Amino acid sequence: MLRFIVLFGFAYFFMKLHATGDISKYINMKYAYLSFSMIFAMGFLCLYQLVKWVRAGNEVHDHHHAAYHGHSHETDENTWYKKMFTYGMILIPVVTGIFLPVATLNSTVVKAKGFHFSMIDNDKDQYANHQILRPNSSLYYDKDQYTEMESSDLKKYSKLQSIVLDDDHYFHGLETIYNYPGNFIGKKVAIKGFVYRTDDIKANQLFVLRFGIIHCIADAGVYGMLVDFPDNMANVKENTWIEVEGKLDTTYYTPFKENIPYLKVTSYHKSSEPKDPYVYRQYN
Amino acid sequence: MSVIEKGVRYAVMVQSLLQMNTIFISIIIEALPFIVLGVFISAVIQMFVTEEMIAKVMPKNRFLSIAFGTGMGALFPACECGIVPITERLVRKNVPLSAAIAFMLTGPIINPVVIFSTFVAFGDSWKMALLRCGLAIFTAVLTAIAISYFFSENQLREFVEAKLHHHGHDHEAHDKPNFLQKITGTIDHAIDEFFSVGKFLVFGGLISAAMQTFFRTSTLLSLGQTKMAAILIMMLLAFIMSICSEADAFIASSFNGMFGTSAILAFLVFGAMVDIKNLLMMMHSFKRKFVFSMIGLIIVFVFTGAFLI
Repeated sequence: MLRFIVLFGFAYFFMKLHATGDISKYINMKYAYLSFSMIFAMGFLCLYQLVKWVRAGNEVHDHHHAAYHGHSHETDENTWYKKMFTYGMILIPVVTGIFLPVATLNSTVVKAKGFHFSMIDNDKDQYANHQILRPNSSLYYDKDQYTEMESSDLKKYSKLQSIVLDDDHYFHGLETIYNYPGNFIGKKVAIKGFVYRTDDIKANQLFVLRFGIIHCIADAGVYGMLVDFPDNMANVKENTWIEVEGKLDTTYYTPFKENIPYLKVTSYHKSSEPKDPYVYRQYN
Repeated sequence: MSVIEKGVRYAVMVQSLLQMNTIFISIIIEALPFIVLGVFISAVIQMFVTEEMIAKVMPKNRFLSIAFGTGMGALFPACECGIVPITERLVRKNVPLSAAIAFMLTGPIINPVVIFSTFVAFGDSWKMALLRCGLAIFTAVLTAIAISYFFSENQLREFVEAKLHHHGHDHEAHDKPNFLQKITGTIDHAIDEFFSVGKFLVFGGLISAAMQTFFRTSTLLSLGQTKMAAILIMMLLAFIMSICSEADAFIASSFNGMFGTSAILAFLVFGAMVDIKNLLMMMHSFKRKFVFSMIGLIIVFVFTGAFLI
């Protein structure tokens, strides 16, 4: 009976993840077929357990039958508290997964997690900077391939008069802009993301960021741009989603000790969190 | 502390807990398909493979049997937690301990899925994938050889053995099960095993998620200044993060800029052999002393191997 509930819980949980699309908040969709197959595997085991349970209710427990199988771990679960422990433990992910909301990584986490902004201040770790704001995918390619991809991206985006950093272009577009900010000065760029504020920016400045996923949520990084508004933005709350359009320029950003591209906003408006708050890197 | 400050702290705390839950769930979702596959393979071995069959194919010679175990590991599409129940089953079926361990250590690394994901994660290059396989074989073979000298018995936990003996007699007393009974027996076994292994996955996942949420990886990373320290740090990180070997290459490649090949390689090999969740599973199946000696050996061999590259 307990087993039936647990297995049913898992089957339901995986089905829910796929039905609502929440699965994309946990893992890279490239591997979604694995968890999709779990709906059927768990469903089957759950039905099997149900049939077995109903049958066991109908007949007196058959000891001969039990001798063929089922011996391996039964002794682990023969006392009520051990049973409680096993089933209680296994039910945890089902219960928390179904009932707790998905914590889409937001700026509270940026501060609390390993790659967070306070790290920028202690500049001992010079590499950590690249995981914030600026996507750097050169690690994922060998040198020649990366150069090739870089130049083809540069060609692609240089042709455009205005660049819209939507889901498809977020990683490639942003990376190209960070790699060749000079080529894009004066161009129109549109970006959408959540608002983040550090101590060292002006009252009319904000960061507009999005979490990006390379493989799964454990390796999520935060990417985006510094944005310069015509108005004082001090009353805009962190985590608000915002869409901005502006002209690209570069500025010396002291914490990074380098010039970074930033946007001089021409228009902006508040926006709602997109259905999928993460961006994924497109491999092509 | 003002009321507002308290409120903010509370909100941050709740947020961190939700965050931890999200990491936890993503570990579970990633690993579960491989656990299910693992318990099914284990159950099939239990029902369909007899000790005589294994005795027939298993070479008697110590080194040949280890080579055989390594080769078998290469055929199994398992990850480091799914393979533990399979290994336990093999040892129970009288596979020599050293061969089973060689199997357990290579299985999660040398298989098509893992090799392919490593290939993709490191920018479609074979270098990392091949180095990873090489170091895995090196570590697995040397660990298994050392084990074959130090440990003569099967090293299963006593109560597991006692149970086996008891049931061994039961089996003799009854007729052989027919095919259908074998099939239902397989499913029953798989479900039993799922529950017995599942609790360790959940427990390990919780610890790992908590450490990732409340422990700053940056502090850890800043310690890895020398090559030696970097290797050790990455091994520790692999242990804590408990990422499935099918998926860890993508995480490892994100450390590529920070650490050298040696440290990344140590992460890829050590993490696929030992981590929090599979440690709990191994301790459930095998004697503690044995598990710790084995991990000691693995640490030494992975470290030396990675250092020399």
